[in-house]
Amino acid sequence: MINICKTQLNLLKSANSVQQQVRTTFVLKRKYEPLLHKTNEKPRRLRAKHFIYELVEDTQVKKRPNMEVVLKTFVEGVGDKGDVVSMKPHFVYNKLLLPGLATYKTPENIVKYSKTEAEKSTVQHSSAYAQRTVTMLESIVLAVIMNKDEPWVLEPWHIKASLRKAGFHCKEECITLPKESIEGPDLLKENKEFNCTITINKLEQATLKCRIHHWSTDPSERLPYVLEHWKLPAEPLLDRSQMEVSTTDGQQPII
Amino acid sequence: MLTLLGRMRALAVRQQTGEAFRCLHLTAVTEAARKGTREKARKKKVKVEVKKVGFIPHNQRDKKINVKRADKHVDDSWKQVPKDDVYVGRYYRWPVYTVAEAIQCHRETHHPSMYNVPNASLNVEIELNMQGEKATRFVDNFQRMAMIPHKFNHGEERKIIVFTKGNDEIVEAREAGATLVGGVELIKDITGGELLLSDYQFIIAHPNILPELVALRGLMKRKFPNPKSETLGVNLAEMIIKFSNGISYSATKDEYQQNFGLIKASVGTLDMDVQHLEENIRFLLQDVNTMRPKRDGRFITRVLLKSPPSSEQLKIDPFVYIPELYDKTAAKISREAKNEAEPAPQQALEAATASN
Repeated sequence: MINICKTQLNLLKSANSVQQQVRTTFVLKRKYEPLLHKTNEKPRRLRAKHFIYELVEDTQVKKRPNMEVVLKTFVEGVGDKGDVVSMKPHFVYNKLLLPGLATYKTPENIVKYSKTEAEKSTVQHSSAYAQRTVTMLESIVLAVIMNKDEPWVLEPWHIKASLRKAGFHCKEECITLPKESIEGPDLLKENKEFNCTITINKLEQATLKCRIHHWSTDPSERLPYVLEHWKLPAEPLLDRSQMEVSTTDGQQPII
Repeated sequence: MLTLLGRMRALAVRQQTGEAFRCLHLTAVTEAARKGTREKARKKKVKVEVKKVGFIPHNQRDKKINVKRADKHVDDSWKQVPKDDVYVGRYYRWPVYTVAEAIQCHRETHHPSMYNVPNASLNVEIELNMQGEKATRFVDNFQRMAMIPHKFNHGEERKIIVFTKGNDEIVEAREAGATLVGGVELIKDITGGELLLSDYQFIIAHPNILPELVALRGLMKRKFPNPKSETLGVNLAEMIIKFSNGISYSATKDEYQQNFGLIKASVGTLDMDVQHLEENIRFLLQDVNTMRPKRDGRFITRVLLKSPPSSEQLKIDPFVYIPELYDKTAAKISREAKNEAEPAPQQALEAATASN
């Protein structure tokens, strides 16, 4: 009876479900090597000093190699669906495997999550980082510095040069200006806002807020500097329904 | 009454202690000996003086102490290479332009419709790894003159004095644009104090006047013409043109980072022909590369093209114009060629010094 009870108790006991992998391997080296023993004789007795060790390697602090996973969907900054990506193991576990964006790389998973023909034809993302570029382009207010004294007509390369000064690199053909031509110098257009469209990899489109600023070569002729002008609201330059005047929040300074 | 008694007793007790002391050894000899040993011991002790430092305002504190400075040699090779046609620069490697592209970019920003400075000067910033042959040795700051094929207005006043004997050479030097040309009479003027050598930045001489010129050695000091700095030679016109039109540049080591050197020089103006500007950059880079220490690795680490008033700096690849790494065989050949070319003026110099 007692025996049965005992076995029942053991059966009822829950098994430890959390099986954490523990790295307890330490590579050690003897500080004092024991002497060799004579042939056909017993090895010498080990002394206390022979049990002094020096640490060669601690596997717990070793850098883990990258992990390869198959992406289930498009992940911004990582890759497209079906891509096999190699990333740091912690990033893979926390950002890809736990949210269910990727699975372990196995031949079955590669086949399962590879892009179908239908998906290939409907391209949604041109590259892993295009969306980030779009959000960053849309978050800034670009200062387009134009001359106060010489006549000009705004052209794509003006925007290209202004973007380059602000740390964005693009090609001239990616820039689409508003249909109405913007001409100057016209101080009425000072600090007025207009939108132009940037097309990334001929696919993603970003609306870029631009403001005209007049600049004179002669320092005494220059307009007074407005502190943090990009944070202030601005009037639209062109009367269009598409021109949405930005609010002050969510903008990053670009000089 | 009681107090008086007390005092008496105290006196008696004191007397007793005095007697007890007298029993001890208190002679002058022992006293002296003990004094000596004490002195020795005192001398042995090194006094550690703790100086009290009052409050020093933050702006007056020594900036060299406890400041972690970022490495000035920027390495962005760990960053990605952009694949998109529009990208945010900060996440990727710096784009490397060709000289023509970089000039085109600067011309865009300096266009009349934007900054309206089409004739702005084009500046080059050359970053150097000043480490010498050993890790603890560094290349000294140097100042040089680079000869350029296409001259431009550098905006400096450069006075050149030329010493030569031959009449043809005097004419030649005058035509080349020397400020003052003369022979023995000029030397006499200088020794007489009628002419100040300090008014002239550059002193050039023909080897035929060397024996007389030695008299001015003390006045000229480091400016004394010598073939190494290319101020002594037969080809006067070429030297004068070099010193009047060349790019004068100096490499300075960073105050806090000894292995970082920087050269800032102007190579022309934006309205010059692109090919001409490129040639000037090529000659400047080749001249800088002659100062390369005999070690492996790069000497010139990065070259940036700038043009005021724009703050843009565009990286160009210098290794199109100069070898990237130290080539032992090439250095040897060039040194041998130099040695062969040099003896003639060197001998003349030695002969001149010997005659004096």
